[in-house]
Amino acid sequence: MQKSHPAKAQSSLEYLLVVALTFAIIIPTSYLFYNYSKESSQQITDAQVTKLGRSIVDTAETIFYSGQGSKSTLELNMPDNIASAEIIDGKELVFNLTTTFGVSEIVFFSSVNMTTGSNCNANVCSLPQLASSGLKKVKIEAITKDSVSIDVI
Amino acid sequence: MQNTRKNHKRFFVPRKFFKFSTESQAALEFLSTYAWAFIVIAVTISSLYYFGVFDFGKYLPQTCIFPSQFKCLDFSLKPTEARIKLVNNIGEDVHVTSLQITNDATPPISCTAPATFDWAHETTQDIIFTSCSGGGYIPDVRVELKVSMSYYAVNTPSHPVHVISGKINAKVTSS
Repeated sequence: MQKSHPAKAQSSLEYLLVVALTFAIIIPTSYLFYNYSKESSQQITDAQVTKLGRSIVDTAETIFYSGQGSKSTLELNMPDNIASAEIIDGKELVFNLTTTFGVSEIVFFSSVNMTTGSNCNANVCSLPQLASSGLKKVKIEAITKDSVSIDVI
Repeated sequence: MQNTRKNHKRFFVPRKFFKFSTESQAALEFLSTYAWAFIVIAVTISSLYYFGVFDFGKYLPQTCIFPSQFKCLDFSLKPTEARIKLVNNIGEDVHVTSLQITNDATPPISCTAPATFDWAHETTQDIIFTSCSGGGYIPDVRVELKVSMSYYAVNTPSHPVHVISGKINAKVTSS
């Protein structure tokens, strides 16, 4: 027996209501979670940079006080959004971090003199290989009795 | 008679056309009904959008995000001033050379920034932007403000200036 027209109309309307309700729940929820996760990812990047920057400076200090010729290699997983990395005045290790609300420089201070094997101009030595994401091997070596060299190998 | 027949011939409409005419009228009426439905839906959605029903951003928590080296401890947005409490976790004494606040509005928010100051490490600092106006900075409205701060470390010989950026996403209080 064929279904009557009102019954078909009712089922169609109910189907449309269910779809509409589903959309009304999914769209705002997705938007809220997307925004929340975007902010969280920036905080995660900041935490990652802080951890690896501190690790480089701590290792440099340890190697320096271990004496000339001492060296160590760190394996660091660089996050996204790092625009550049440089050493200023042999004392500051600076990471330029790009965020949705601007550029932030994350600075780490060392009590020992840091330098790089190359890419030095005046008092600024850059580490271009650290400005891209992925796994990096960083060699830290006490090249003289006064300074520690930091290079990506 | 001759004339009448001629006229009849002139206005003779074939049966086929009558059939098509009826069908096209039904189709047009059907489409018209849908057009009305679309108009009603479009007006309803526009009204809801106008009254901010689809502005889901207001359901997000109020946040103040700065790099962990200058962590944001607290903040408040009053009708004419914005206050931020930051802590110096960088491990060195610094000298703050400039502070700026802006947003994406046209024209952007304009505030009077605090004067430069020295900031010892592991201490907190209340940064107060006064005389804020423009940029949609209105009581009871949620705003997103971008704050940038320039500083240098006192103990670094060449005093290289560094910049940090932060964001406040919150509602301006009414008092």
